[in-house]
Amino acid sequence: MKIHRCLVAIIQIALVMAWPVARAQEPTTDGYVTRKEYEKLKAQMLAMKQELDALKQENAAVSKQASVESHAVADIHKEVAPKQENAESEASADMHKEVTATTTPSVAELEASLLGTTKFLVAGWAEGMFEARNGNVSTFSASFNPIFLWEMTPKLLFDSRLEIEPSGGGTNVNLVNAQISYLLNDYMVLGVGEFFSPSNVFVERFEPQWINKLPDRPLAVYHGVLPNISVGAQVRGGFPIGPTRANYAFYVANGPTLNTFDARTAGTLDFNSYTDNNDDKAVGGRVGFLPIPGVEAGYGFETSKPGFQGTKFADVRDLVQSVDLAITRDSDLLKGRINLFAQYAWSKIDHAVYDPDGSLGFGPLPLTAKRDGGYAELAYRPTKLDNDFLRNLEMIFRWDHLSREPSGLGDPEETRWTLGLNYWLSPSTVVKAAYEWDKPAGQRNKNALFFQTAMGF
Amino acid sequence: MIATPNRTVLACLLLLLASTSWNLLAEPKAKQKTATQSSSAVSNDSYMGLSGEELWSNNCMRCHNIRPPTMYSNAQWDVIVHHMRIRANITGQEQRAIVEFLKAAK
Repeated sequence: MKIHRCLVAIIQIALVMAWPVARAQEPTTDGYVTRKEYEKLKAQMLAMKQELDALKQENAAVSKQASVESHAVADIHKEVAPKQENAESEASADMHKEVTATTTPSVAELEASLLGTTKFLVAGWAEGMFEARNGNVSTFSASFNPIFLWEMTPKLLFDSRLEIEPSGGGTNVNLVNAQISYLLNDYMVLGVGEFFSPSNVFVERFEPQWINKLPDRPLAVYHGVLPNISVGAQVRGGFPIGPTRANYAFYVANGPTLNTFDARTAGTLDFNSYTDNNDDKAVGGRVGFLPIPGVEAGYGFETSKPGFQGTKFADVRDLVQSVDLAITRDSDLLKGRINLFAQYAWSKIDHAVYDPDGSLGFGPLPLTAKRDGGYAELAYRPTKLDNDFLRNLEMIFRWDHLSREPSGLGDPEETRWTLGLNYWLSPSTVVKAAYEWDKPAGQRNKNALFFQTAMGF
Repeated sequence: MIATPNRTVLACLLLLLASTSWNLLAEPKAKQKTATQSSSAVSNDSYMGLSGEELWSNNCMRCHNIRPPTMYSNAQWDVIVHHMRIRANITGQEQRAIVEFLKAAK
């Protein structure tokens, strides 16, 4: 509207200004406008008015068109934008689906096929220890015990453990076990190779130092009366009996060697001789019974002919036996967890005469050798307390014992009492401190102080 | 066996103590039921009335502390539980229920 008024004003001013000029150009007689001049001005005004109306119409049309276009653009934007966003979103989602669809299986496949179709894992544990024992120099020690697990198929597993530790000026590397196992069915497994002796539940289950609650291992069951490692074949498994459960493990193996050349060890079994010395194979096993969850009682045994083939000891037979009990219980009353582990073993070797002609300097020595010993361990950890520090503490008490008959031969009777305090840094990492009262019969005490840290992985 | 009478008495007392203190140390039944119900929400697979979580807890804690499910990948748990099945003499059904729980709990 302002534009229109301006145009009209401009035209009027132009007319007013043009009037004297026109008059000056056409001579008049008395100062009045002639008819001819009037008609001419009228025609000019009409022409200008028509042009002004045309301009108004044109301007209005332009404004209207601009408004329409503006609304149209806005409407189009409204219509188009959501669709475009949806389209972009859908396209993005589709692309994500495509990428995810291609990526997820790739990651899973990658994880599952790092070594082809098999699954490989290195587990194990490591330890570092300080031991100060009366009568010996104090010393630090360390070991690394990798366990290689190779699952060739869901039924076929190879497992092997090494023991690597510094010794003297070098490093000792021992093959502790190497076994191939095959799952025959839900209740039976077949294993062949070098394995932890099933007759000795301690070495099968509690021997790793992140599991064993004290820094050292108990007498009699560890490198004592019972075998630790066997080379042979075994069949094992578990099965339900009504509301209870049972398990079993039976094996044939090379068996131990009978010590006959030394008065101190005569009549004892050497379980560290992994190659056989005769055609007779050791037979052994263990049966376990779990009346309720958290409680297991077991009986293990092994029998063999440990004498060298072709000697007078070839027909000597040995029998080692073991009973064990394991109880694990969470108690609200005691605000924590109680563990009770106990195992007692005994062995008997048939009557024999050692060094019969006295050529070894200690015979003739007739004897029916017997050994026995075991341990009981009670541990308490206040797992139900609110305090984090206290919850990670664990107190342990152990009694262990070893004796032989007839006494006076070989190692003396020995009984130990051990108190320990552990702090768990993680479920499989522990720092241990323990003191052991150890008084072998007829000898001065061998009391010991231990500090150890162990980590399972 | 050459255990002296004192040792035999000690062993008998130990067993008696363990058996009589069992109920004393037991968790309240209501709490046990709650634990069972909560665990069954994680895994529906069960064996002898025990869920995968309970089998995992009962079998592993017999020997050592239990390790959290997030500690290993699914493939690693497959291998570890396979190995432990052989060592601890658990059944195939228990093995599968435990593996299923460990994978679901992650």
